[in-house]
Amino acid sequence: MAYSGFRSGIIGWGAYIPIYRIKARDIARQWGFDERITDSIWMEEKAVAGTDEDTVTMGWYAARSALMRAGVDPRDIGAVFVGTESKPYAVKPSSTIIADALGISTKKLSTDLEFACRAGSEGVRLAVSLVESGAVKYGLAIGSDTAQANPGDVLELTASSGAAAYLVGPASESVAVFEGLVTYVTDTPDFWRRDGSRYPTHGEGFTGEPAYFHHIVAAVNMLMKELGLKSSDFDYAIFHQPNGKFPLQVGRMLGFPKEKVLPGIVTPWIGNTYNASALLGLAKVLESSKPGQRILVAPFGSGAGADAISVLVTDKVLERVGKAPTVEELLSRKKYISYAEYAKFRNLIYRNLG
Amino acid sequence: MKHSISIFWRLKDNHYKIYVTKCRDCGKAAAFKRLRCPHCGSQNVEHLESRGLGELINYTVSYYRTEGSEQYLPRVVGLVRLDEGPVIVGEITDVDPNELSASTRVEAVLRKYSSDDPNGLIYYGLKFIPIIKR
Repeated sequence: MAYSGFRSGIIGWGAYIPIYRIKARDIARQWGFDERITDSIWMEEKAVAGTDEDTVTMGWYAARSALMRAGVDPRDIGAVFVGTESKPYAVKPSSTIIADALGISTKKLSTDLEFACRAGSEGVRLAVSLVESGAVKYGLAIGSDTAQANPGDVLELTASSGAAAYLVGPASESVAVFEGLVTYVTDTPDFWRRDGSRYPTHGEGFTGEPAYFHHIVAAVNMLMKELGLKSSDFDYAIFHQPNGKFPLQVGRMLGFPKEKVLPGIVTPWIGNTYNASALLGLAKVLESSKPGQRILVAPFGSGAGADAISVLVTDKVLERVGKAPTVEELLSRKKYISYAEYAKFRNLIYRNLG
Repeated sequence: MKHSISIFWRLKDNHYKIYVTKCRDCGKAAAFKRLRCPHCGSQNVEHLESRGLGELINYTVSYYRTEGSEQYLPRVVGLVRLDEGPVIVGEITDVDPNELSASTRVEAVLRKYSSDDPNGLIYYGLKFIPIIKR
């Protein structure tokens, strides 16, 4: 059921983008690709986590910003979910480290979720369900990734690092209320990483039509049908961004003009932050939105599934934007690094230590 | 240097947060949780969580290698005056030491400090970065 009844909403949001950037053309040149490949997928540069950063540290920063904006007592948070496909530990939750470091209640649900790039948005859906059922007062959903790519794979042009966090709570305290949420999921072999494997593999022709486009179109159409809305009813549309080109393409397929999609685009300047991708786009749009506007956000995860979520912005958004770093501020904070520095930062160079 | 997992776990709260002891008698503040005010000796103190914001007073660059932290070298170690008053020692990250200057505004962030080995525990704690504009 898509209708949420405006009972819950986003109380606070936060973003994090590492300071380091590598030009997509430098990666293309490193492996002898035609440099024009970066233009064909609209990729200019990507964010690179530093040596002392990982999913936990980036997720912590985004979550702390969400709490700063929300202004709630961390002890009132009853659920913490971290959506990621780059867990620092295969076994040991990232969510407990972030929760303890933020002083969040010990009486809580806390787990890491995995569904390629849409586990973070599944965390949002779980938090909404818990809040609306009355099981918790506030639920925190984090999408954070230091995305891996096989060196020399075309995926390396885009796979990047970043985090976004959303604190979900009662609609009366929200900067944006949930109007409807749906998810469309199938078994599709478009992208995977086997247990113990260091880098993911993608199913070549499967990544576009049968995976990304089919699932997002299906989820968004399902949402619009259930809510009785059409694309012209939305002020903004944000889609998962594996590159700069796909979200514009899927927007066209669904009848959203470019002007409604472009404000939420972040990937050409920071790369595909996986679980943070569409959620960072939503954060960017929230920070410039006006009360009363309707926003569509549609994250996608390989394997495969897509969510379609409709939120209505309230007047509380205006007072909370300036309480933590904005996406624009994080986008403009950058230092360029070489491919060699990138390889060092992302642990692509094997060293004998000790 | 091999870390003690139990010591790290017991001190976890002090790795994840910066505390300040505020004296209710003399009004002065000191770094960390203390039972007694180091300025006047009073036990009439309260413990507050620092907002993690401050100013870099000075810094040095360390190339000293310890086991489990090789990949983070060189380290920039600074003296930070917290907005609450006390001065603490902290690692400054995300910076090029050649471009850093004293009086830089900084904020505390959670980062990795070290790891026992590729299969061992990862040690997280607070470091400082130049404040992100807000």
